[in-house]
Amino acid sequence: MFKPPGFLWLLRHELKVLWRGSILVRTHRYVLVPASIVILMFQAFGVLVGHLIMRHPVAPEIMLLALNINLAFLFVLMFSRAMMACIDVLYARGDADFLLASPIAPNRVLAVRMLGVALSILAPWLLLAGMLANGLIIFGQLWALAVYPMLLAEALVVAALAFALVVVLVGRIGPMAARRAGHSLALFTGVGIFILGQTPHFVPHAALAGFWSGLLPGPGGGGLAYLFARGVLGQPGPLLAALALAALVFCLVWVFLAGPFARGAISAASYRPAGREGAQQARFRHSAFSSLMAKDRRLLARFPGLVSQIAYRSLTLIPVVAILLGKVVIGLAVTVPLLVFLAGQLGLFFISVLAQMNDMPALIASAPVAARAPRRAAYLVCAQTALAIIGLPVVAVLVKGPALAPVMLLGVAGALASNLWLGRRLPIPLSRAAFGKTQVGTLLGLVLGVSISAGWALAAWLVVTFV
Amino acid sequence: METAWALNAQGLSKSFGRKVVEGLTLTIRPGEFYALLGANGAGKTTTLRMIAGLTPPDAGRIEVFGRDVVKDPLGAKAIMAWLPDEPLLYDKLSPLEYLEFIAGLWQVPPELARRRADELLELLGLWPHRAERCEGFSRGMKQKTVLAGALIHDPKFLLLDEPFTGLDAGSARLVKNLLTRHVENGAAIILTTHILEVAERLASRIGILAGGTLVAEGGLEALRGHAGFESGTLEDVFLQLTAG
Ligand SMILES: Nc1ncnc2c1ncn2[C@@H]1O[C@H](COP(=O)(O)OP(=O)(O)OP(=O)(O)O)[C@@H](O)[C@H]1O
Ligand SMILES: [Mg+2]
Repeated sequence: MFKPPGFLWLLRHELKVLWRGSILVRTHRYVLVPASIVILMFQAFGVLVGHLIMRHPVAPEIMLLALNINLAFLFVLMFSRAMMACIDVLYARGDADFLLASPIAPNRVLAVRMLGVALSILAPWLLLAGMLANGLIIFGQLWALAVYPMLLAEALVVAALAFALVVVLVGRIGPMAARRAGHSLALFTGVGIFILGQTPHFVPHAALAGFWSGLLPGPGGGGLAYLFARGVLGQPGPLLAALALAALVFCLVWVFLAGPFARGAISAASYRPAGREGAQQARFRHSAFSSLMAKDRRLLARFPGLVSQIAYRSLTLIPVVAILLGKVVIGLAVTVPLLVFLAGQLGLFFISVLAQMNDMPALIASAPVAARAPRRAAYLVCAQTALAIIGLPVVAVLVKGPALAPVMLLGVAGALASNLWLGRRLPIPLSRAAFGKTQVGTLLGLVLGVSISAGWALAAWLVVTFV
Repeated sequence: METAWALNAQGLSKSFGRKVVEGLTLTIRPGEFYALLGANGAGKTTTLRMIAGLTPPDAGRIEVFGRDVVKDPLGAKAIMAWLPDEPLLYDKLSPLEYLEFIAGLWQVPPELARRRADELLELLGLWPHRAERCEGFSRGMKQKTVLAGALIHDPKFLLLDEPFTGLDAGSARLVKNLLTRHVENGAAIILTTHILEVAERLASRIGILAGGTLVAEGGLEALRGHAGFESGTLEDVFLQLTAG
């Protein structure tokens, strides 16, 4: 099995490719040290939480409900991630055709692909949940070991279902739109979690309590809906049943897709995106600079995940709007750090998109334009776009509280400028921008960029609160 | 000011750890079609990139129509077009938008640019696809799009790195005619190619690059002389001159 072209040999190859494309490896080598420090800190946190759980035992019923909610969220988050991964391995990486042209059994290729996706979506959560489990295990709670196989079971189910959905979606709407569907799913989940976290603010307590207690599993254990949650709690029967169920789902999807995959009907469904034809009109321009800006604006606007990514970041605007409308009675000043943070985040994201989509410096270098022109055009387009998004709330805040103007303007400009500067050098990783393009973003860029946005926001907050 | 040389490159050297181009001297006159041949890895692309002002040479001087590529890069680039060996296209732009962008970079007057864009798209058979994004294009369609980009600003000096890759016979013929006409109007072209028939048919002068320098240069007759052949095809001569 380990020898070529055995199943495990192929799986090793698959995992190698996935690992090299993963965020940790794409990123700076030097990030490994800070990353391990963060992991150690998380582990310490896990031990702390484990300790707290031991000190304040939760009623088993509530524990089950909490676990189930977490498993449900995990399911959706993994699912969205799995959809992207499926699209990549089936349509984007381009080696599906290559492998199908080789004398390896196609169903083996498919099984390896599905397993690879399952493992790749599992890894980050295993790391996170594993730390919590370890925190419990060292206090003698050996049942927490069950977290590991149960997460694997969930990942198998998710990967299989995502594969099936992606094949159907791509067949109907093409890989681009399917990818957008995956993005939207992640977005809705994010919004959902946010809204759920806010429910205590706008739902009466009694109603909320009634709602949650209605969801409790009850004395019977909650039946099939609580199977996975009980598995996580280490109950042997549910654990084995959940594992068996996951394996069954995985195999069913595999059997179902193996035929079409072997015939090339899946990977060939749309290997190349059909060039989208729009009512595009070229407007020939006089100046090189405005041509550069027009190009950057187009590339930015055509980035596949643009809307969902902007919406994600703009969740910060919800509390701002709530404060502006008087729904939340906190000082207006709180909006300043929020908007400053958003300005920094948007700038970082936009410049990273351009860095990702603009990977042909040689073309522009061969043109008679000053070396700094492309850079400036990109900065300008990103700043304009970010300001277009936060402009209205900023103006609204300033109309209500003109005294905030200096801090607000300085903070927004500072966060924007510093993150544009940083993001061009160290862009953040983006969910793959286009087929076949290599990722240029790094984890280091993400960590630094968010820190800088937060730094400016913190400074703005300190100034508005204490000055 | 008119100068005698379209390209005057003297003593070019470049090394990437090891020497790739060494003491290369290359001169081309206006109205001349020059083919640079050489085995894979001989340094053809590197040479073109140095002339285009993309790779700074370690030593040597390059002038294009009297403009120094190192000292006056923008002035030199304004009259050059460089066609890379891999088509550099923005996936998310349509051919028309790509041409609009290129015309803007070279500051072609808008009305002229629009007319030339329409002409080139029509001529190269890209007209029906002018508003489609390039991400779905075939290799040949991409190649035609970048060729149109190289020609839209009517450069006086064209650097073409394997321009015929992926073109069908009809398109290749079209492009050959287009380039010949361009040269007849006083421009100069240097191209690299592995299709020796192209070099033999189009080029007024052929240079063979080996070991980082020109081992032979001239028309087919002159090259035969170099190789010590009475007769024989360019292929025979090329293989003889690059052997060992
Ligand atoms: N940026 C670079 N860094 C390091 N080495 C390089 C670089 N560019 C080119 N080389 C090396 O220089 C040599 C010549 O490369 P070049 O691309 O000029 O060859 P070529 O004649 O165009 O070959 P081909 O016919 O395959 O296109 C090669 O050995 C290549 O590895
Ligand atoms: Mg080359």
